[in-house]
Amino acid sequence: MLLLTGALLALSISSASVSASSAGQEAFTAKDAIPILKAPEAFHEELVLKPLNDGSVYSHFQFTTHIGTVMDEEHFEGAASNLFTHYNLFPRSIGQILHSFDVEELHLTFTQGRWHYGDWGYPIAPSVGTGVELWAWLNDENKQTDTNWKGLTNTLSGLFCASLNFIDDTITIEPKLSFRNEGLYNVHTRSPAAKNNTESRTNPRKLRYGSLPHENVCTENLTPWIKLLPCKNKSGIASLLKSHKLFDTRFYSMAIHVRPVCEDELCSVKSLELVQSVTTVFDVARHDGSYDWTMTGLFEREITQACPLATTSKVVLHLPQTTEYRNQYQLVPFPPQGAYSIGSTQDNIQEIAVYDLKTDLETHPASTPFQISLRWENSRPKSVLPISPGIVAHRYFTGYGQEHGGLAIEIHNNNEQDVEAIYLDTLPWYLKLYLHTFSIQLNGKTIDNQRDLVQKMYYQPAVDRSRPAVLELALRLPAKSMVKFSVSFDKVFLKYTEHPPDANRGFDVGCAVITVQLPRERGQIGYGGLDHLRIYQEREASLVQSRLTMDEDDGDEAQVIKRQESEMDRIRVYTETLLVSLPTPDFSMPYNVITLTCTVIALFFGSIFNLMTRNFEVVEPKGAKDAKGKGKSD
Amino acid sequence: MAQRTAETRNEGPLKNTPAMNRSSNTTAVFSTALALRLALFQFPTLVSILGGQVEIATPITSFKRLSEGVFLYRNGVPPYDGGVFHQAPLLLGLFYPVISSPILVKLLYILSDLAIGFMLLRITQIKDRDAAKDERIRHDLTPNLGLFWYFFIEMFDQFRPFFIIVFQIHVFIFAAPISIKLRNHPLFVAFLLSTVMGTFKGYPSVGDASLYLGLLPLCSEIFKYMRYSFLIANLFMYSSLLAPIFWYLWVYVGSGNANFFYAIGLVYGIGEIILMIDTTYALMRRDFEAQSPPQPSDEASSHGWDREVVQK
Repeated sequence: MLLLTGALLALSISSASVSASSAGQEAFTAKDAIPILKAPEAFHEELVLKPLNDGSVYSHFQFTTHIGTVMDEEHFEGAASNLFTHYNLFPRSIGQILHSFDVEELHLTFTQGRWHYGDWGYPIAPSVGTGVELWAWLNDENKQTDTNWKGLTNTLSGLFCASLNFIDDTITIEPKLSFRNEGLYNVHTRSPAAKNNTESRTNPRKLRYGSLPHENVCTENLTPWIKLLPCKNKSGIASLLKSHKLFDTRFYSMAIHVRPVCEDELCSVKSLELVQSVTTVFDVARHDGSYDWTMTGLFEREITQACPLATTSKVVLHLPQTTEYRNQYQLVPFPPQGAYSIGSTQDNIQEIAVYDLKTDLETHPASTPFQISLRWENSRPKSVLPISPGIVAHRYFTGYGQEHGGLAIEIHNNNEQDVEAIYLDTLPWYLKLYLHTFSIQLNGKTIDNQRDLVQKMYYQPAVDRSRPAVLELALRLPAKSMVKFSVSFDKVFLKYTEHPPDANRGFDVGCAVITVQLPRERGQIGYGGLDHLRIYQEREASLVQSRLTMDEDDGDEAQVIKRQESEMDRIRVYTETLLVSLPTPDFSMPYNVITLTCTVIALFFGSIFNLMTRNFEVVEPKGAKDAKGKGKSD
Repeated sequence: MAQRTAETRNEGPLKNTPAMNRSSNTTAVFSTALALRLALFQFPTLVSILGGQVEIATPITSFKRLSEGVFLYRNGVPPYDGGVFHQAPLLLGLFYPVISSPILVKLLYILSDLAIGFMLLRITQIKDRDAAKDERIRHDLTPNLGLFWYFFIEMFDQFRPFFIIVFQIHVFIFAAPISIKLRNHPLFVAFLLSTVMGTFKGYPSVGDASLYLGLLPLCSEIFKYMRYSFLIANLFMYSSLLAPIFWYLWVYVGSGNANFFYAIGLVYGIGEIILMIDTTYALMRRDFEAQSPPQPSDEASSHGWDREVVQK
């Protein structure tokens, strides 16, 4: 299967490159009067490490590639077609995919394991749903979205050696409230001032979302992912990526995100940003119970130099947040410029140690290879700051037997204030949802007036073998509360060919996703999703700051909102994936069933045919010649 | 609807009571039926258990699915734009105003039951009615007492459309020959065709059985010509007893598999088929006896209707 997809991919890539270059030439001849200046491409690499409260070590690799143009707004579209004719740092395979399928934004995440919100807080990576998650905003100018989506899934399937081609119509959805556009560019165009100028320029675009909860992630997916990096894993932070160690972890997630962003506050310089990330949670204490770790111990590899192509190359360590007294641990080496704090208020302050590999490794050859170790007094922390994530959600099945079932979702709001949240649930068509059984409990008590909690509800009923059921709710979660939804469903009886080879294992049901704006809090790993780098980087920090000051012109109210939003982070909380077992037929029975059923039907047909076509006659006594009884009705 | 109509089975024979004390008897029977239903509705668990039984509720008769359809319609979601609701738009219209009030729904069921009983009564009086129905092809493979669900679960993909066509044709192909051959017995034709449909339709339930078993006593004169009534009665009892048990073993306990329930469906189907064949045979035999009664001088007369007869 994969070989075949690979061959198809090769074909589609070659044809795509032909069409891309011809389109590029056309664009060039048509627009050669326009000054198209290539902005330098830029590549940033970064590794964020954080010791977690349960002794695990969180690591987040993030590689950011920008490909940009210096363009004013009306020429941006023309430049976009020119964008994909030259490749230096930006991976050509991704560029061609974006170009040939009219993709504006692309998010693909492979995840193995389950993220434990209660122990670990929120991750930097925005998607942590088990399995594969793919969502994209596609340009719908030519009304080709469905074709493009199909092409996109199949091509990515070949590129990453994954079963992404199974994201077909039966699992693809179009969320109405969740998975909005990301990136500063889109934030910018959403602000009222920018909207007036660019209203004519906004393209019709469509969202597509699909997930494969049962997809396993392994080395064959990581290898093509590494190939997209400018330095591969030959140098720089990526040289730590050893699949042997990465997949021997409690949690592993790998993603690519492509989105348009602004390079300056007026958004006159736009660029396309490709973020590649790998997130793992190492179980350090597994062997001997010791919470001590070294970078070599975690990755079994070393960084000898920064990637020469990288503009910035940093390792960021979130220092453990201990209570009682500070010096419970020893960090070697401590950064020469010292640790500093991010966050503005008492609630979200976080001490970080930043190591700049460019300067450290290139100017101090003695520090090669780069090494960090963290040791605790007595190998364990005495006391750490507990983590309580603002929103935690769980989803589970209720009921028994293989005929009916129920779905229950619990959302805990630990915040001191009400929180607006959007809940998205996709259920495969073989669970027949009965929305009239939908009920809500608030802190254990069933409430009748659902309007207080559910402000909007969007429901798409499933159609057998063609589309899933989608339930999307805009919620207002009361402060310090537990809201529980429940709904019942019937399990569908599938044809024997629709069951997987391991039919009695059951079917996986993907995560539900809760999108929520939360205030940044202390002790959490990293907020800001993909934008977290901007918190560390002066360049980005100033950009965010200037954007904020510009928005102050919008008026006091908008200013207040903006200021609040700057302290808020949009987070997606993923629930567990579920396993549902459906009633199975006897797979060895097709011939028996066909023959037995047909026999019974033939029995009836034959007998009725007999009765309908023949008449009664009296049997003649022996030797008698003339008939006694003749036909009765005809 | 299904479980309610199922109970009308009991009323069928009672409708054939002699004409002289009919009116007083009728009132008694109808009030007993009303009281029985009111009493049964006092056990909500019984109603929900029966409503969930696969022998009773099929995808096109399930009250749960009807509730969902009405709920979707009420909330502005097109009810047919999904895989749950397959029922007739008229049912949607009928239940739309009443479904929020359980009392009205119960009342509707009771009234329709009584109406069915009354109509059977009228038919007995007139003995001159006909019926016809048609079916739509669906792909819901929820098990029932019919012969199709397991057949199409197990069928090879490439043959599925062919067999769906063949089986659906099979349901109504008998209408023409039966109507022609038995044109002098419209009531029996109604019984036979409703049995054919109740047996070979895609989603039969005991509600369908209640229809033809309700019509059967209207032709009680043929009973004495039937050869396999004991076997038929046994097959019906056997399957109605074992069907819920085998379903439970398969779906809930897991100690049985789909073949158990399928086998019971097959037995039930054979019972229905033998019932049809035997009653048709009995009717034709009775006709034959009426048209050519045994001669008093005949040798066979000593055997009454039991003389040697063959079909040719």
